[in-house]
Amino acid sequence: MSTSAEGVLSVEVPRGAFHLFTNLCKGCGLCKEKCPKDCLIWSECLGSFGTPAVIPDDPQNCIACGICQQVCPDCAILIERKRVK
Amino acid sequence: MSAAQPVIQPKMPKSWYKSNKPHLFCPGCGHGMVLKALGEAIDELGIQSKAVFGCDIGCSLLAWNFLDVDSTQTHHGRTTPVMVGIKRSRPELITIAYMGDGGGYAIGSQHTVNAAIRNEKITVILVNNTNYGMTGGQMAPTTLPGQITETTPFGRDPEETGYPTRGPEMVAAIASEGAYVARGTVANFRQLKGFIKKALENQIAGRGFSFVEALSVCPTNWRTNARDTWAFLEDKMTQYFPVGEFKVPQVKEE
Repeated sequence: MSTSAEGVLSVEVPRGAFHLFTNLCKGCGLCKEKCPKDCLIWSECLGSFGTPAVIPDDPQNCIACGICQQVCPDCAILIERKRVK
Repeated sequence: MSAAQPVIQPKMPKSWYKSNKPHLFCPGCGHGMVLKALGEAIDELGIQSKAVFGCDIGCSLLAWNFLDVDSTQTHHGRTTPVMVGIKRSRPELITIAYMGDGGGYAIGSQHTVNAAIRNEKITVILVNNTNYGMTGGQMAPTTLPGQITETTPFGRDPEETGYPTRGPEMVAAIASEGAYVARGTVANFRQLKGFIKKALENQIAGRGFSFVEALSVCPTNWRTNARDTWAFLEDKMTQYFPVGEFKVPQVKEE
């Protein structure tokens, strides 16, 4: 996991990358419940309302499906997909 | 950080007004998802420069600077006639009336009914979260039987307060040919975006009234955690409010 100066949590996962913008995450947890692999947990970093931001517990579990990005009401999650050969 | 490495930007729709994000809605509010679907639909149709967005009183008014399109905010329930007025004076504009269930089915129901009967060429997006969110979660016309709200602490009793409003069914029954009526849910984002896009295309084609109800969530006033929020939306609300298209205009084949 790496945290940039802009408050972006980035995790490299096998099929791409998971990015979370802490200034946008309000900690509602809707993404946590929608994750098909049930792999999102609360992180040590705080979001915009002082609530914990989400992060994949183990990068190997995240399949970069993008459902968390789709259901996030604040566009706080960005999934980058790598082309797997 | 080296200059060669680009800064990662959130993937927001182009038509969102970026500088007021994070937006004003509560954590977990469904408005963000509905407006994301609307923003992506506006982007894909390329109508950002000619769209007019009107929001109602209630939680939906917090969308007054949400989109980077011309926006106006009206009296409670009066978004539909204001948008009708704009559309009649400037028919080239794409007018979007955005309201909650209180604005569309309670105080503004006469405007919804009359605009649907007259087949006004506007798009109405109505967000149904089964209560009045901004004032603290009172019973709304769409509150489900047995649902606990501030004003129904023992659950809504249909014997006393009647049954919830099924808006799209009503609009589909009274609207004329050329109207588009559908109900989507924020639990099925792609379908909801497709409905909103079809509603906007219907207005662009000038066929008639376009009405989309979006089933939404209100974790703050339902007093639910994330799991129960999705469960209430997907199990209880969709049972009473079936999702789908209720009226699709017949397109003439050339």
